[in-house]
Amino acid sequence: MREPRPLAYIVSSAASSSPLGNYLDPMDDGPSVSVPGPPNAGRPRAAEPRASTRSPEGYEAEVRTLASMSRGIYPLARAEALRGLAAVLETADACGGAVEQCYGCAVELMRDEDEGVRLASVRLIALCADKFAGREGWDGNGNGDQTDLMFLQLSSMARDMSTKVRIEAFNALGKSHRVSEGVLLQSLSKKVIKPNTGSGSIIKGKKLPPKLIFPCAAGIFAHGIEDEFYQVRTAACKSLGALSKFSTQYAQKALDLLMDMMNDDTEEVRMQTLQTLFYMATYGCLSVQEMHMHMFLGLLIDMNALIRDATRKILGLVNLPKLQMFKSAIDVLITSLEKNPEEQEIYSVLFSVGKNHGSFSANIAKHLAKEISMPSDAELILDKPRIKALLIVSISVSFSDDKHNKLDIPEIIFLHAISLLGKISCALGEVVDQDSLLSYLCQKSGTPFWKTRLLTAESGESEGCNVETVAGIRAQIEKTEKSTKCLDQVLTMQSMKIIIETVERAWAMRKSCNICDVRTILRTCKEELRILASNSSGSTGAFLRFLCEYLDAVQFIVEILQSIQLDNSYDLGPISLDVLLEKLDTSILKMKCCYAGFNREMEVQVCELALLANLLRLSKDRIHSKLVLEKLHWTINRLECLCADGSCELSYFSREIKKAFDANFAGSDVCTLLELFHLKPKTDYGMLKAISAVLQVRDNDSENPSSYVCGLPVGVSFDISLCNISRHDRLWLRMIVGESIQHTFLELSSFGGNDEVKCCSTTIPLFATPMAWSFVLRVCLVMECPYGSISVHQRHGGPRDSIVQLCDELDVYFVCTEQR
Amino acid sequence: MAIECLVLGAGQEVGKSCVVVTIGGKRVMFDCGMHMGYHDSRRYPDFARALALFPGAADYTAAISCVVITHFHLDHIGALPYFTEVCGYHGPVYMTYPTKALAPLMLEDYRKVMVDQRGEEEQYSYEDILCCMKKVIPLDLKQTVQVDKDLVIRAYYAGHVLGAAMIYAKVGDAAMVYTGDYNMTPDRHLGAAQIDRMKLDLLITESTYAKTVRDSKHAREREFLKAVHKCVSGGGKVLIPTFALGRAQELCILLDDYWERMNLKIPIYFSAGLTIQANMYYKMLIGWTSQKIKNSYTVHNPFDFKHVCHFERSFINNPGPCVLFATPGMISGGFSLEVFKKWAPSEKNLVTLPGYCVAGTIGHKLMSGKPTTIDVDKDTHIDVRCQIHQLSFSPHTDSKGIMDLTEYLSPNHVILVHGEKPQMAFLKERIESELGMQCYYPANNETVSIPTTQNLKINATEKFIKQNLVFGGDMPKVGGCSEARGILLMEKSKTPKILCEDELLHLLGMEKHLVHFEPLPCSRMKEAESTDEPLLSSRIEEVKHTDGSAVQQASLADLGCERNG
Repeated sequence: MREPRPLAYIVSSAASSSPLGNYLDPMDDGPSVSVPGPPNAGRPRAAEPRASTRSPEGYEAEVRTLASMSRGIYPLARAEALRGLAAVLETADACGGAVEQCYGCAVELMRDEDEGVRLASVRLIALCADKFAGREGWDGNGNGDQTDLMFLQLSSMARDMSTKVRIEAFNALGKSHRVSEGVLLQSLSKKVIKPNTGSGSIIKGKKLPPKLIFPCAAGIFAHGIEDEFYQVRTAACKSLGALSKFSTQYAQKALDLLMDMMNDDTEEVRMQTLQTLFYMATYGCLSVQEMHMHMFLGLLIDMNALIRDATRKILGLVNLPKLQMFKSAIDVLITSLEKNPEEQEIYSVLFSVGKNHGSFSANIAKHLAKEISMPSDAELILDKPRIKALLIVSISVSFSDDKHNKLDIPEIIFLHAISLLGKISCALGEVVDQDSLLSYLCQKSGTPFWKTRLLTAESGESEGCNVETVAGIRAQIEKTEKSTKCLDQVLTMQSMKIIIETVERAWAMRKSCNICDVRTILRTCKEELRILASNSSGSTGAFLRFLCEYLDAVQFIVEILQSIQLDNSYDLGPISLDVLLEKLDTSILKMKCCYAGFNREMEVQVCELALLANLLRLSKDRIHSKLVLEKLHWTINRLECLCADGSCELSYFSREIKKAFDANFAGSDVCTLLELFHLKPKTDYGMLKAISAVLQVRDNDSENPSSYVCGLPVGVSFDISLCNISRHDRLWLRMIVGESIQHTFLELSSFGGNDEVKCCSTTIPLFATPMAWSFVLRVCLVMECPYGSISVHQRHGGPRDSIVQLCDELDVYFVCTEQR
Repeated sequence: MAIECLVLGAGQEVGKSCVVVTIGGKRVMFDCGMHMGYHDSRRYPDFARALALFPGAADYTAAISCVVITHFHLDHIGALPYFTEVCGYHGPVYMTYPTKALAPLMLEDYRKVMVDQRGEEEQYSYEDILCCMKKVIPLDLKQTVQVDKDLVIRAYYAGHVLGAAMIYAKVGDAAMVYTGDYNMTPDRHLGAAQIDRMKLDLLITESTYAKTVRDSKHAREREFLKAVHKCVSGGGKVLIPTFALGRAQELCILLDDYWERMNLKIPIYFSAGLTIQANMYYKMLIGWTSQKIKNSYTVHNPFDFKHVCHFERSFINNPGPCVLFATPGMISGGFSLEVFKKWAPSEKNLVTLPGYCVAGTIGHKLMSGKPTTIDVDKDTHIDVRCQIHQLSFSPHTDSKGIMDLTEYLSPNHVILVHGEKPQMAFLKERIESELGMQCYYPANNETVSIPTTQNLKINATEKFIKQNLVFGGDMPKVGGCSEARGILLMEKSKTPKILCEDELLHLLGMEKHLVHFEPLPCSRMKEAESTDEPLLSSRIEEVKHTDGSAVQQASLADLGCERNG
């Protein structure tokens, strides 16, 4: 086994093996001596990496095998071999000569006849370049020529006739890690720049093949941005920008090319160009010259809002060297503002442009002050976009870096700027609060108003708001953003605790106090919880929603107890006990079924409520109905089961009920049992998830009803999305027309999406349409809630058990076709 | 075997492109153009020389296997009716579908100019053109056509004009490409030249811009748009004189797009004949345009210009800004001259000129310095105050493009045609020095002979194959590369054969001779040790010469594999 060959050798061997290409055309029945493959190569598919645990020898063998495969006579096999090498290289750490060997292979096949092989070769070269760059000490001296060489090799592929190869080549070029300036400049200019003696001779000293000197990179970007295929242009544009961080001279020339691309006929390319410019601006290598302004300003009034927006963003970052350019930019921004008054972010851009060019803005400010203070015949309309815009620009001087300009702003500007407080603070990114900004403006404008406030607000800062403090505040806010989120959570938990305590107190005073007061307290608590729930998400949100249900149940219980105790339920008004009991049952069902991921304590809590509900039924009916007893039995069993391993204790209330139940309620008063119930809401909710559903009907509202033919079935199209539904849940779509109810079972397998959110669009037929001109269909998603094995409803063709609604009822409007 | 290349036209000049290539005994005539600069016999290629190439042939049909036309420009197709109808060539003529559709229009147009305007003697009639076109077999892109048993031709997209093609021709192992005119950068309506990488012996390429490297197309477009926009926003009128086909469509796509983006409402007009004919052809031949147009075609035919309005002659005098495309291109007469007369006196207006104008036309006068008055005839004088913008859009590739294509195709030899001699000499130097290829630029009626590579079929003995080429054999491994050793046996009138070393003696019926060397004398032993060379003994195989056969020792190795590893 030989030692890995040194890189220089591979390069020279690649050069010596005819760079004109490997002409091994299988169709030419010529060189029958070419060996189709080495003995142990097997099929190229075997090249794909199998396991991550391979010895270095394994790597080497694999690389060697694939390398010899890559010289086969069949283009598909060659391409596959190169892809195999890439796959091996990706998993391998760049040790040994594997990278060099792969690189050698790729270079050899760079001029292959088959486009697939060339494509694979470009990819492999790019990967090798990446691996080389990743090596330690690679950035040191002496390797620059190697990266340049690779850049040139990739460049020569950028003029390939195959679109795919060109795209790949440009993408690869953009990922280059370090390229010398000479090579970069050459890539922009079609004319061959004579290499200066320094780098040129070194390259020659390394005995590079004659074709891999500068000319092959000549003007590749100039060609790339003129390419026929927009994908290539986009890729070229991206790389053009990505490389600009290596050289300022290059960046300047690249800008000329990019400016030309603004006239491109494809919007994607124009957008990419703007993105590239933005990238360059952020890296500080964008210096706009006067000749670019025409194009730049044209984009500010482009038809496309996205283009306008992207251009403005860039404008906010660039530095305009001349007052004339600055003024024209401001003018065009104002024109754009007049054309599109809805684009308020233009003010922010004006502000940042003004801020970046303090002295120019000061100039504007002076002129504006003159204009304002001049006693013109008509009154000055400050509401005009132009004046507003100029005010913003003028005021931005005081936030600029040039300190000496700050004194130049006339007071009158500040005075008028006060009315634009909102826009200014918006432009400042709302890091400075409006109050201190206002006080600053007032102070500057010499208005006595707000003076007292001013002293306290700005005792620390003599200069008012300046950029340094603004930046400081921003950083601080960013830093505290995370902690704020935590804080929110803590606050939510605290208020939750307080609410629960309140509920407990209300429960305790239910007898001593007026029922109305208790009701009000509970209602207020629920209100609070709803607000908290709407602001929080995840399991906290789910728990808050759960608590709402819980409070509902508590309220029902309180009212039921009240009505049981007072024979004459005067206070309760017309709501009968049955309705209340039914509501309580529904509420408990909802708690039980509409949440997933209960921990044990919470389930115990729900079960106790269920016990209580059943007990209330018993006490109301005085007759021990079989169904209620069955439910009671099941719930007691469930409770015992939950507490069996001793992780939580069966409450006294439950134990007493169990005793009474075992004794068949002989000798025990149900009412005394009721007294034993102790309300203790749990706060430890674990990973609670709320089950919910959104049901929407397509193209239907009262103005735009669907049509149907009397008596014939009609299809209704629904968009359904479900949250946290498990596979075992049974969902039905309930459709009610007047008296008739139709239940349709929803097959969960037809839903797409993940475990958390499932979505589906489906059309469900309504079979029995009424013989009417029009009707309203009430649709709802319901879920079965199995109560053990107890079957409550024995309805034919519908849900077996009790059901809960997963969403609000939806109205679907129908009109008979004959009428329309 | 060699490729003989006789340049009948466009050798060291531009005009009457015509190259006859003898390849593997087949003679293919590429292009059959006429020279626009001459009005005598020099305008046609000297076809007699093509006949002389093949002494046995009775007529052109026997001498020439086929004629292939690359595109419809007259300097590439102008002499075709003359060749087929007057000289009497009846063999196959190939050209692409668009060329076949557009060529009669061009030919008839020129015939009319020649006969009606210049009053020249008619070289061929309209019927001749139609007759000639009947002989044409249309080609599609990348369609391989078997002209006869040996000759295969294939067309590739060349850009340049609608329907322009590069032609690949192959007989046996010898293959070549004739580019015709091509463009390596796409424009607004045509794509860039596109060809596969193939093994080629010869590339015949145009070299119109052999020395020029053009700057970015975008810059030219930007200048044009800027000038037009400035003019119309100042309330001026823009006159764009163009030819009906090609440039007009490109400029109009450019303007239409710009109008859309800038939301301009100023009308763009086409003078009538132009829209109806040319745009119709473009709409039909959409498959031959650029990718962008092909893409957008499904939604909207880009040749249905959104901002182009219906035009009437009376609009010339209307006030307010507008843009007008008018024929002919060089303001040599017709409608563009009429409009020019009206609009030239106002300094608000703009006239754009094409990149090239024939001497004697108004366009040429405007290009050569800015005159204040132009005399159309002795009574009419035009006061020229309008702005002039010169377009430099060209459908030819520049020197960079030629180099790129040559490098991409990597042929063994390059012949330059269709260019100016000094520039061609410069390009030849570049190709030879940078790409290391043989390059020629013959003058008209010169012949270049090019050797071709020939692949040789050899047989191998069973034993050799078993030992060396079948997987699992114990082939000697050299640094990961496999190498097979054998002896190549070439005998007269027999297919060459490769065999194993030990089979040779048996085959020749000879005995093995061994030559032993004496050991070194002791006095030189130390020296030998220090150089560390195995001089002690060695065995050589005798190389024998027998009657009529040569035995050589050959070493076969994979490409790129080191031999002394």
